Amino acid sequence: MRVSVGRYLKLLAAFFSNSLTRDMEFKANFFGLLFVDFIYYGSYLLFFTIIFSYVDSLLEFTKPDVMVFLVITFLMDTVYMFAFAGNLGKLNRMIVHGDLDFVLLKPVNSQFFISFRYFNSYAVVSVVILSVLLWTTCVNTGREIQFLNVLIFLISFGLGLGIFFSVDFIIASLAFWFKNFNVGGWLSHEILKFSYRPDTIYAGLLRKTLFSIVPMALVSSVPARMLLYPPNFDYFLIQLVVSVLFLTLARNVWVKGLRLYDSASS
Amino acid sequence: MIETPMIIKARLSPREILDKYTYVIRMTWIQTLEYKANIVVGMFAILSGVIIEYLLWKRIFITRGISEIGGFTFQALIIYIFFCLVVGQLKSSWVTSIEMIDGIREGELNKYLIRPISYFVYHLMLFIGHNSLYYLVYFFLITGMAVFFPEWVFPGWTHGVMFLITLAISVYLSYAMYFLMVCFAFWFGEVRALVIAYNLANLVLTGQMVPMQLFPEGLRNFLHFTPLPYLVDVPVSIATGRMPVEMWVSAIVMGMFWSVIITLAGMILYSRGIKRYEGFGG
Repeated sequence: MRVSVGRYLKLLAAFFSNSLTRDMEFKANFFGLLFVDFIYYGSYLLFFTIIFSYVDSLLEFTKPDVMVFLVITFLMDTVYMFAFAGNLGKLNRMIVHGDLDFVLLKPVNSQFFISFRYFNSYAVVSVVILSVLLWTTCVNTGREIQFLNVLIFLISFGLGLGIFFSVDFIIASLAFWFKNFNVGGWLSHEILKFSYRPDTIYAGLLRKTLFSIVPMALVSSVPARMLLYPPNFDYFLIQLVVSVLFLTLARNVWVKGLRLYDSASS
Repeated sequence: MIETPMIIKARLSPREILDKYTYVIRMTWIQTLEYKANIVVGMFAILSGVIIEYLLWKRIFITRGISEIGGFTFQALIIYIFFCLVVGQLKSSWVTSIEMIDGIREGELNKYLIRPISYFVYHLMLFIGHNSLYYLVYFFLITGMAVFFPEWVFPGWTHGVMFLITLAISVYLSYAMYFLMVCFAFWFGEVRALVIAYNLANLVLTGQMVPMQLFPEGLRNFLHFTPLPYLVDVPVSIATGRMPVEMWVSAIVMGMFWSVIITLAGMILYSRGIKRYEGFGG
């Protein structure tokens, strides 16, 4: 087991090194993608600045709290872009063209390979900038953030990332059933849109749905709560259970999908 | 090589030219029909967008205990956002612009240079063809809304006609802006980042998430000197009866003015870029 973990860590390091080399060949694109990130952050910051020119708070989320929530959302998105986005977007094409054959022939877990083969190395720069920004916005809230908050936030952030990955992975894997599901990325984006707003705007049945079946409120809102407010272990437990369930579901969908795959290349 | 298509082009009558490009739309339309899932996801995008904005603004209206923000009642605001999402989708293009960038970078542009076809018009037809399924479905959606909730949209039939005219200007202007950005690929090779950044900024700056009337005054004034209001805000303001009739003509004239300016800028960039184009990709 230990040997296996070590081997996969070495593989991850090799994937990252290879991705960095590839990305550095197109330096203009590297900076272009950073530019896209900043436009994206700027758009949402502008949006919430406009919203908060009309209101002081969204229930318990005050303006500084929402700024922390936004930075966590950006950070979540950027970490996801770094590790997974460059891979899952290719899955549909690999299934349609039969290129998945080459992945299945390798002596490595196919789901691991599909999920981690390409890193978007430019995102490291954004992660560093956003981490500094998160620190600054946290200070601006004037709240006392304890070490326990930070610790639980880090775990909660990891669980949120797991949910984000699982949802995107499950949707991308639908290509096994639909044969050509090129709208998968778009559909994921539209579902994940629900995680880009603080959970306090959701109420009733939709709120319950976003905390369970379509767990978008658990992606960024719950980590923000863990960081800003005294840790709420009910939310934390829900997030833990849902993320384990969704990661298991993603694994099952992949295994079942592979049984349907009949290779398209000829 | 370049002479031949020009001779053929000169022999074609206007009717034949029209037929040629209509055929492109028809072919794209047939391709688009194969991907019906697009329209399902498109509808979901609009529905989810409206739900999220509805909940957000409802919270704001409840928190402040008010019945109007920036001249919008809650209902008027949601109708406005709904129309913005529809128009925003009709005028956007990820597929065509990315294909055009790839074409320049990989040398695919060659096939347009040796055929009696305009690169600009051909891709405009593809742009319309790719979005045609949305035009059809959203036409029924909007018509249904106008029939069942006449007090919400299109106060008069002229609003409907003017909405269609300004929507056509919006679609054309949007394409011209994509074309302009795509032409930078002659110099930089990979300009996807520019198109993606433009699309993301567009979501907020054209008023698809918050009406432009609610923007800070400085930003609003600045945007009035750009073509952005003619992409979404103008058609939607006309459809929802928010724009006074006396402003319609100037809005249309300005929309057309920007269309001409952006088209000319695109043509100049294209004619300069094509001289740099080496046609072998890589």
